[in-house]
Amino acid sequence: MDDQGNQLLEVKNVVKMFGGLRANDNVSIQIEKGEIRGLIGPNGSGKTTLINLITGIYDVTEGSIYYYGKRIDGVKANVIASMGIMRTFQVARVFRDMTVLENMLIPAFTQGQSGSEAKTRAEELLDFALLTRLKDKQAKSLSGGQNMLLQIVRGFMHKDLKLYVMDEPFAGVHQSIKGIIIESIKMMNQEKGVTFLVVSHEMSTVRTLCNKITVLCKGERIAEGTMEEVANVPEVIDAYLGG
Amino acid sequence: MKIFTLKNIGMLVLLIVAVFLPFVISDYWCYVLTVAFFYTIMAASWNLLGGYTGQFSLGHHTFAMIGAYTSTLLMSKAGAPFWVSIPAGILLTIFISCALGILCLRVHGIYLALITWAFAEVVRNYFRLHYAFTGGDRGIDSPLIFGTMKPTPYYYLFLGITVFAIVLIAIIMRSRIGYYLRSIRDDSIAARSMGVDIVRYKIFAFIAASGIAGMAGAFYGHSIGLISPVMGDFNEMAMIIIFVVIGGMRTQAGPVVGAISVRYTMEILREYYEIRIVILTAIVILIMRFFNGGLMELFRRVKKWIRRDGEGPASAYQEP
Repeated sequence: MDDQGNQLLEVKNVVKMFGGLRANDNVSIQIEKGEIRGLIGPNGSGKTTLINLITGIYDVTEGSIYYYGKRIDGVKANVIASMGIMRTFQVARVFRDMTVLENMLIPAFTQGQSGSEAKTRAEELLDFALLTRLKDKQAKSLSGGQNMLLQIVRGFMHKDLKLYVMDEPFAGVHQSIKGIIIESIKMMNQEKGVTFLVVSHEMSTVRTLCNKITVLCKGERIAEGTMEEVANVPEVIDAYLGG
Repeated sequence: MKIFTLKNIGMLVLLIVAVFLPFVISDYWCYVLTVAFFYTIMAASWNLLGGYTGQFSLGHHTFAMIGAYTSTLLMSKAGAPFWVSIPAGILLTIFISCALGILCLRVHGIYLALITWAFAEVVRNYFRLHYAFTGGDRGIDSPLIFGTMKPTPYYYLFLGITVFAIVLIAIIMRSRIGYYLRSIRDDSIAARSMGVDIVRYKIFAFIAASGIAGMAGAFYGHSIGLISPVMGDFNEMAMIIIFVVIGGMRTQAGPVVGAISVRYTMEILREYYEIRIVILTAIVILIMRFFNGGLMELFRRVKKWIRRDGEGPASAYQEP
C-alpha cells in the first residue's frame, strides 16, 4: 500500500443517485489510521448508501474514494475486501445453511490462510464472542443477536484487516451481546490498530466508543467533530429534533 | 479425519453390492441400472449447480446431448477413435459452458433459468433441423464402445463413471471452492463482501457441472447405440430436477437415491403406463408436502426417531 501519511480513507465529493433521488450529495470524509469514527444521522440520511459505496457494493455516480491514496471507487467488492476493508450489514447477513465455524472460515480462505491457521483463529474469536458451543450449529439456528455477533467476529478473520465498516452493529441486540461487540471493537483497535467506521443510532455508545463523529442529513454531510462539538451544531439539532 | 465411519462403511458395502449385482439380476435390470447411473451423474452434477450453488439452470441436459453428439459425430463422420472422440465431446462441452457462463452468470434466479432454457431449445432444434449432419429427429447410430449390446460391460462402465463423478463433486464441495459456492448460494452480497469472487466461482461451478454432464452424455451415447434430440427434451431436464428434489437437494447421497429410486419405481410401474406418471406425480407431491428435504430428510427423521434424539434446533442454543 502507498503510504499517504496518517490518512487511511478519503471520500471526496461523492454523489450517489438512485433515479431522481440524491442519496449521497457531495459527501467528503477523511478517516485516519487507528480512528474509531462514528457515522450518525436520521433515517434516510444516506449512511448505509455511503457504506455501500466505500465497500464496492454500489458504484459512485460522481466523486471518488481513496484508500491508502489509491482510488477504489469502481473496484469490485471482493477486491476491496481483499485490500483489508471488511464490513457488516444492518440486518446480519450470515451464511444461514453453513455452520458458525464454516462462516468464520470464508474470509480467512479468501485471504489465503491455511485451514489449520484459519480454524485456530476462528476458535479463538468464537471463544472471545462466547459462541464456541454453537460452532457446529447452522447459522440459521442462531438468534438475531448471535447472528450479529457472528458477522462481526467473522470480519475479524481477515488476517490483514485495516478498516472495518459496521452498519448499525448494536441495533436490536441484547445488552450482553452489545458489551461483547464494544469490547471486540476496542480490542481490535488497540491491539491490531484496526480503524473503524461505525454507523449507529445509539448516541451513548457512539459517545463512549468514537473519537470523532460525522453527521449526515438528507444525503449531505452537515457536521464533523467530537460528540460535544457536533451536538451544538444548529443543523444537527434541527435534523434530530426536526425544529 | 476418520475414514471408518458408519457412513463410509455403508457406502463401501453399497459399492460392493453394486459390483456383484450383475451376477444376480437379469440383463434387463442391468440395462435399467445403467440408465439409472447416467441419470445419477446428471442429477449429482445438476445438484452441484442448482443445489449447492443456487444457480437454477434449465439447460443441464443439453450438455449431455452436446457431449453425446460431438463424440458420435466425430466417430461416424471423421472416423475418430473413442479415445479422441469422447475427450473431444467433454472438451467442447466445457468450452461451450464456459462461453455461456461468461455470458449469463451475472444474472440469477428466473433470468438464468430462462437463458439456459433458451440455450437448450436452440441446441435441441439445431440437432433436429440439420438432418443431413445429425440425423434429425430420427437420431444417429452411435458406435458401441464395447461392440456388444450385452449390458453388463456398460453397467460397470457407468458404475465407474458414477463413482468418479460423485467423488469429484465431493472433493470440490469439501475444498475451499465448496465453501465459496455454498456462501454464494446463501448470500451472494455477503460473500462478495468477504472477498469471494462470485462470478468466477459461479462460472467454475457451471463449467464443472456441465463438463461432468458432457462426460456422462459422451459415454451414454456409445452405450445405448442411438442418440436423438429426445436427449434435449425439456422432460429430461424436469426429470433431473425431480431426481434431485426427491432424493434431497444439497446432499451428496440425495441425487443418487433420487435417480435410482425414481427410475426403479418407473420401471416397476411400466405395465401401468397410463397411470404411472400420475402415481409418480402423487409421490412427488407427498414428498414435497411432508419432507421437502426429500428422501434424505425422511431417512434423517427415521434415524432421529430411532435414536429418540429430542434435541431440536430450537433447544440447541442459548443467548450468551
